Amino acid sequence: MSTSTSFNRLTPYVFLAPAVVIMALALLYPLGYMIFGSFREWDPSQAMGESTYVGLKNYITLWNDPNFRESTFVTLKFAISVVTVEMFIGVGLALMLDRNLRGMSLLRTLFILPMMIAPVVVGLIWRYMYHPTLGIFNRGLKGVGLESVDWLGQHALLSVIIADIWQWTPFIFILALAALQSLPRSALEASRIDGATGWQQIIYIKLPLMMPVLIVTCLLRLIDAFKVLEVILVMTEGGPGLSTEILALRISRTATEFRELGVAAAMSNYLLMLLLFITVLMLVYNRVMEHRAARASRMIEESD
Amino acid sequence: MFNISKTICGVAVASVLMVGQALAGPYDDYADTTLVVNFPAHPHYDAVRKILPEFTKETGIEVEVDQLPYLKMRERQTLELGQDEGDYDLIAYVVFSKADYVYADQLENLARYFMNPKLSDPAYDADDLIDGYVYNIGFAGGNKGYLQGKTGSLFGIPYGSETSILGYRKDIFEKHGLEVPQTYDQMLDIACKIPELEPGMGGLSSRAASGHHASHAFLLHLAPLGGRVFDDSWNPIVNNAEGVQAANALKTIVDCGPEGASSFGFGEALGSFLAGDTAMFLDTTVVAGQIDDPAKSKVVGKVGWALHPEGTRRGSQTGGFGIGIPKNAENKEAAFLLMQWLTSKKGDKLVALAGGNPSRFSTHEDADVNAKFPHMATFGEALKHADPDWRPIIPVWGKINADLGTTLSKVLTEDLDVQEALDGVAERATAIMEEAGYYTWNK
Repeated sequence: MSTSTSFNRLTPYVFLAPAVVIMALALLYPLGYMIFGSFREWDPSQAMGESTYVGLKNYITLWNDPNFRESTFVTLKFAISVVTVEMFIGVGLALMLDRNLRGMSLLRTLFILPMMIAPVVVGLIWRYMYHPTLGIFNRGLKGVGLESVDWLGQHALLSVIIADIWQWTPFIFILALAALQSLPRSALEASRIDGATGWQQIIYIKLPLMMPVLIVTCLLRLIDAFKVLEVILVMTEGGPGLSTEILALRISRTATEFRELGVAAAMSNYLLMLLLFITVLMLVYNRVMEHRAARASRMIEESD
Repeated sequence: MFNISKTICGVAVASVLMVGQALAGPYDDYADTTLVVNFPAHPHYDAVRKILPEFTKETGIEVEVDQLPYLKMRERQTLELGQDEGDYDLIAYVVFSKADYVYADQLENLARYFMNPKLSDPAYDADDLIDGYVYNIGFAGGNKGYLQGKTGSLFGIPYGSETSILGYRKDIFEKHGLEVPQTYDQMLDIACKIPELEPGMGGLSSRAASGHHASHAFLLHLAPLGGRVFDDSWNPIVNNAEGVQAANALKTIVDCGPEGASSFGFGEALGSFLAGDTAMFLDTTVVAGQIDDPAKSKVVGKVGWALHPEGTRRGSQTGGFGIGIPKNAENKEAAFLLMQWLTSKKGDKLVALAGGNPSRFSTHEDADVNAKFPHMATFGEALKHADPDWRPIIPVWGKINADLGTTLSKVLTEDLDVQEALDGVAERATAIMEEAGYYTWNK
């Protein structure tokens, strides 16, 4: 083998090297730092070198901490609720608006506006809208003679869920609409010729064909919903009690208020593991579905 | 002849130089220095910025201010103070940072500056500084480790300090013939009478939101009602009769308060009073400026001020900020001169007139200050009862405080039994204190 051949073989790796180095520095180093820190008793006033190695203590403490368990439960409840509702509304809106109407482009732009607003501003807007006396909701309720509602007191989790749905449904909508518009028109034409109704088209043609995109969309939203911080921080600061204290907020408080960086790092790792588990689960599901679809089409081809 | 003249000239020049040196002002050596200071975004420090040009004019020392929201400021300081060479020459810190910074050996002990005759102003009059603030914000290493005492030292000087005061609507009180409450029983009674007398109006607006808001509001009542969080051996006693009474007082206030009071943070509680939705406000003195500002307040001229009501004792809060010199500061001596100037009688009066919170007894009694801010005399009286130990300033307090605040929030919103709630707090606090080593000497 000549030198030039082996050089040619190395060429792709040489070109890849800068990207790999940057990735390693930008992604793996902080991750490694966090994992390393999670095994230490570490105060923000200390350098990492001054902290004490405590093994798995932080992980075990968290496992036995009822507040951490409650936060995890709140996070799951929040993430599952918002993603489920957002998926329904977002996909529903996309199905309704996938047509050529006048002013549609303006409507689409309006729909995605909430997504473009900074989360802190969203939190503030909703906090004022939920204000017991000055807020638009209670003023509206009073205006029609109904009792006012203590939104951020008695119904805090529901209130933050509503705010999140308002902000992030457009994300699902926009991706679902893109998926819909890239569907093969031939399949829809064929179903129409075969006499499929609008509903049948949605259930048997559109949704199955959109599924790979919807799964990735759902995954992205789920990951984001697990990490949401600013809106809840501004609206409720996690209260009343721990009713809206999701994990990201607890991690932030543990690092800044409790000044326990090691415990905060361990908590972040738990969250990371949870997200990895969900990601793998959804990707496996996607792979199984694709495999099943491929097998079905092979069987159809064979029977022909 | 020529040599004699030369000698005479030389001696004359040297004498002039020596006399000049002997007469040099305390600021001359630092005249070209630029100090970088880190202050919070806070009404008091907005006032401080107005008076800094006066300092520069008088001393020739330039001051560059890095002003940050206070939580952000704490984060920045945590990073900065850990460096070998820091960016800041002088920092303002919240009282809880005192425990962290002093424990991590990041703040200068001020003794060597006050001992230095070239730096220390003989007219400074440290005795005029308000005792409770100095003990709360400035001292460490004394009683309980975080207060004044025979083993304590001074690490900072209070600047932008606050205490609690009762604001009440004079017009509403006059209309219904109500007496300004002097005791807790009277205050709670009036707080619940107001919604009956003035439908739609809350009695007293208080912080109550989950976390440090609820905890702060509870502690505000705990000290005057005779309670403490820990006994002298660091055993939690927050669940004793006084603790339960304080939690019940908070619950009564929230129940008789304005609509949605259980989710009020400081901003909402103040907003409610400013909007005229409540008849009383029991919290920090820092709000006085906003209450008198027609752009922010609907109750200008309608608010009277009274001392924080008495329970079994007087005990108003001590809080706010202090200023200290980081160990890694570049211009420590010039920073001390700025610190001394700001907290001097002159500096304190200037900042008070600019709308800040004075830290000296004399400023509260000053005729010019009182002419501009008539409430200042009452505030000065309140400061005599400021309790430096109304909450513990220990490194693990953040965690206990958060637990106390979230548990009390459950009492206010989910009707959790008060005794059960505080017993839980005490139990968890014991575990935290045990882990932090507070019971080592009991073994």
